[in-house]
Amino acid sequence: MFIDQLGKTILFFDGGMGTLLQEQGLKPGELPEEWNLTHREAVIQIHRSYVEAGSDILLTNTFGANALKFHSKEHTLEEVISAAVANAREGARLGSQGKRDVYIAFDIGPTGKLLKPLGDLEFERACEVFREAAMLGERAGADLIHIETMSDTYEVKAAVLAARESTSLPVMVTLIFDSHGKLLTGGDIPSVTALLEGLRVDAIGLNCGLGPKEMLPLLKELRQYTSLPIVIKPNAGLPVQRNGETCYDVTPEEFAGWMEQIVDNGACVIGGCCGTTPEHIRAMAERCRGRKILRPEKKNHTIVSSYGKAVIFREAPLIIGERINPTGKKKLKKALKDGQMDYILDEAAEQEDCGAHILDINVGLPGIDEPSMMMQVIQEVQGITNLPLQIDTVDEKAMEAAMRIYNGKPMVNSVNGKQASMDMVFPLIKKYGGVVVALTLDEKGIPQTAEGRADIAGWIIKEAEKYGIERKDIIIDVLTMAVSADPEGARITLDALRLVRERYHVHTVLGVSNISFGLPNRPLLNANFFTMAMQAGLSAGIINPASEMMMQAYRSFCALMHYDEDFTAYIDGYGERRLELTDQERISDLAVKGDSESKKICAATQPGEWQVQKKDVLLLLQHAIQKGLKEEAGRQTKECLRTKAPMDIISEGLVPALDTVGKGFENGTVFLPQLLMSAEAAKQAFAILKEILPQGEADNGQKPRIILATVKGDIHDIGKNIVKVLLENYGFAVIDLGKDVPPETIVETAVQEDVKLAGLSALMTTTVPSMEKTIRLLNEKKPDCKVMVGGAVLNQEYADSIHADFYGKDAMQSVYYAKELFGI
Amino acid sequence: MAEERICRETIRYLGYREHRPDPQMEKLIAWGIHETEQKSVPAFIVQEFTMELGEKHRVRIGDEAFISQNLSRNLQDCEKVLLLAATLGAQVDRLIQKYSRLDMAKAVILQAAAAAILEEYCDEKNRELQQKAEEQGWYFRPRFSPGYGDFPIDFQKTLLAMLSAQKRIGVTTTESGMLVPVKSVTAVIGMSRRDTKCRLSGCETCGKRDCIYRRSTSVPLENAKEE
Repeated sequence: MFIDQLGKTILFFDGGMGTLLQEQGLKPGELPEEWNLTHREAVIQIHRSYVEAGSDILLTNTFGANALKFHSKEHTLEEVISAAVANAREGARLGSQGKRDVYIAFDIGPTGKLLKPLGDLEFERACEVFREAAMLGERAGADLIHIETMSDTYEVKAAVLAARESTSLPVMVTLIFDSHGKLLTGGDIPSVTALLEGLRVDAIGLNCGLGPKEMLPLLKELRQYTSLPIVIKPNAGLPVQRNGETCYDVTPEEFAGWMEQIVDNGACVIGGCCGTTPEHIRAMAERCRGRKILRPEKKNHTIVSSYGKAVIFREAPLIIGERINPTGKKKLKKALKDGQMDYILDEAAEQEDCGAHILDINVGLPGIDEPSMMMQVIQEVQGITNLPLQIDTVDEKAMEAAMRIYNGKPMVNSVNGKQASMDMVFPLIKKYGGVVVALTLDEKGIPQTAEGRADIAGWIIKEAEKYGIERKDIIIDVLTMAVSADPEGARITLDALRLVRERYHVHTVLGVSNISFGLPNRPLLNANFFTMAMQAGLSAGIINPASEMMMQAYRSFCALMHYDEDFTAYIDGYGERRLELTDQERISDLAVKGDSESKKICAATQPGEWQVQKKDVLLLLQHAIQKGLKEEAGRQTKECLRTKAPMDIISEGLVPALDTVGKGFENGTVFLPQLLMSAEAAKQAFAILKEILPQGEADNGQKPRIILATVKGDIHDIGKNIVKVLLENYGFAVIDLGKDVPPETIVETAVQEDVKLAGLSALMTTTVPSMEKTIRLLNEKKPDCKVMVGGAVLNQEYADSIHADFYGKDAMQSVYYAKELFGI
Repeated sequence: MAEERICRETIRYLGYREHRPDPQMEKLIAWGIHETEQKSVPAFIVQEFTMELGEKHRVRIGDEAFISQNLSRNLQDCEKVLLLAATLGAQVDRLIQKYSRLDMAKAVILQAAAAAILEEYCDEKNRELQQKAEEQGWYFRPRFSPGYGDFPIDFQKTLLAMLSAQKRIGVTTTESGMLVPVKSVTAVIGMSRRDTKCRLSGCETCGKRDCIYRRSTSVPLENAKEE
């Protein structure tokens, strides 16, 4: 059995296939997989020569054999895959003469598409495509699955899940890293290792992209992190262009020499990729046969990851941002109910800026479809930050849905000592991978002693072992209780922290702020308790990173404990050096450079203070908006509120300012980035006023609603987003359907929501047809909904020819059209 | 030099024409260029192919044939072509997507900066290749991309397959033929034994002369297609 040998003895893979097929006449752009049927003998011959050279594992010629890449008129995927496995089997038979075992690895390469949100491929569609291929590979008789040349963590996750869900074969994965150890989509070695070990693959490694020399340092890094057998399949050096051909120059002897070092540094499955030939494999096998391998070694790193970042639990404590959790947060509750993603994304971005390492995501609200909301929020938040996320829910469906679509190895909050909880959560951790927060409570409640809580922790760790979940993937939460309810509460928690650390050598987490519940000046108690907990061995605090006192406690602790090298974080936070100019500095900057309005403001400002004289408050607000100063616009709005009614501030302050900017844009004196900065500043002002205005007046229901969408097939949405910001500024409620939106979705929304105007954007000639289709469908199903269009390829005639009601040559034109249409 | 060009081009892509951004905006533009450069992982592949021009603007590159009057004209007197693909990588797309959700002003600046950086990167590679080729007596025609004039955009997919671009530099297309990562370029460069002194490329070859993003130039546009 293959799996019995993996990691125990050296196994030789084969070498390049594509280059050899090209030598036999395969043309650039032609499908190599088709040769399994059309040039059977040539393919078998290549397999055979690898076996004769010493290969123990043959990779089938199925790199591109998936429904997205393999478009053949003559042959089905099933025909190609079964022929490919049969050819490899035949090559193995001929080459080994039945004298030794040769394993057939079914090759799965990338789909050739990028997944959403970067590209247009849905995660589940990718899973489906891989499932089909893997199933056919197993049915055709492959011994294992080898997923290779992957450059995107999301795609590799889809491929592994698919292989696991549709076959029972061992799975090996190799990815393509650059010389800095990065994937094309940004992942690094620790984050990829965490993801794949979480998904329980059988071996992990590198192929393609680099030669053996360049892979050596990456192998050393990989070995530091992985507990799995390592596979290395380099190219025959880096590609060199010669006479218009791509050449690989490392000779078989050189290759063998490097591969010897590769074995000595921890690889146990070795072979070649582009440019390697049976001669390379022969030299490698002769040189390395019988060589002692380094057995895989258990590593104990606790790692959570996103697509581009690994967060490793080390000695220094970490910060988990708690703010995306609706408990006790009115605004977030409303945002979730209204599906207002912008508010949630701002919260995520702000926590990142404040220094969070991981973000907690909890969307649990009565009456909400939690699984689908959880998925949406996870995907949207991953679109704007590469911080790893903590999936925080008690809803099993929501937990699984989120773990499935999460790009990386998530943190999961939480499991507890109740049997039912463990029965539900551990199978999910086993399948999808994750670091799970374990609460020390069980059917009997929360023990009143440190000892009792530690016992539950031990029980949970033991139960997890049954699933193969190691303690490095469990983080114990000994629970924070309000001291106002139990005066011994803090002491018990701190004792339990120490005990759990000593007894089980696990990492720990606490939701810190619960401690002060029911007492005044909560930040003071929270911050002090946070310091005490860190001192007692807290690995991560779930806190509000925007709370200055909490961050002061955190930065001080790190500075004092030598976790903050050269005091960098401390000095950045509290030193003199400032990275970004404040609005005040910008205004003085402008004033010095001769801007007359700014001069006026500076003159009106008292030194050291940022107060203004009462008289010109509206003028100052207008100025802030025209100059695009976000913070200043917010401050001036509050200033205006002292003497003016909100509606007056809008009509006398905001609207005239926006009009001035809009006219300037048309006259060519104000340019797009300024227009948008003003829009962002006005947005800030509106947000403040909205809180004060009575519900009815501020409510979206009162505003004219407009659908915006970038049409099916089109993923360029900058233009649409510009229009959105401006329309919102002018008081319209925008229903933003995003990019790559099918005509049906647009029409359905228009009908359901009874929308009277839809704005569509398309960038390329190839996507205008789907714009046309959308318009046709809208005219049919919702004739009273007007359509305005825009985008780089469009002009008035083109827009007329597809029957659009309006063509906006720039973003302001769509605002004017909407105003006219709704009579505003 | 390159930095200055990138800055100038970014400003042009933002629609400023002959105007100068105010100091505040200049700072923001400098921020945008810096951020984009930080996230860029530029990659480039190029490969030589045979070509042939036939009747009625038929162009053959490698084994692929199609009709394009504009490309035919561009490749006049050429004996072979280079196909190339370049990208700034997926991280730049992520950066722009992030700010599209958080701050549109920054998003459009990043988007313009990325376009300028990519163009500069391609120009730099182009110059290197050109220099080497000229030493061997080959002259380059201006880079010409699928989608310019009547050069079919569908050729983009074929070109990427011919270069194995997905595997080598991670450039793919969507179903509708858009490049992903978005900040990527594909192009054809004709190679001729004759030096035609034709130095027009990119922007200047386009027929849309009233475009607000147009590079200011007084060179006559003989090659431009009238629309």
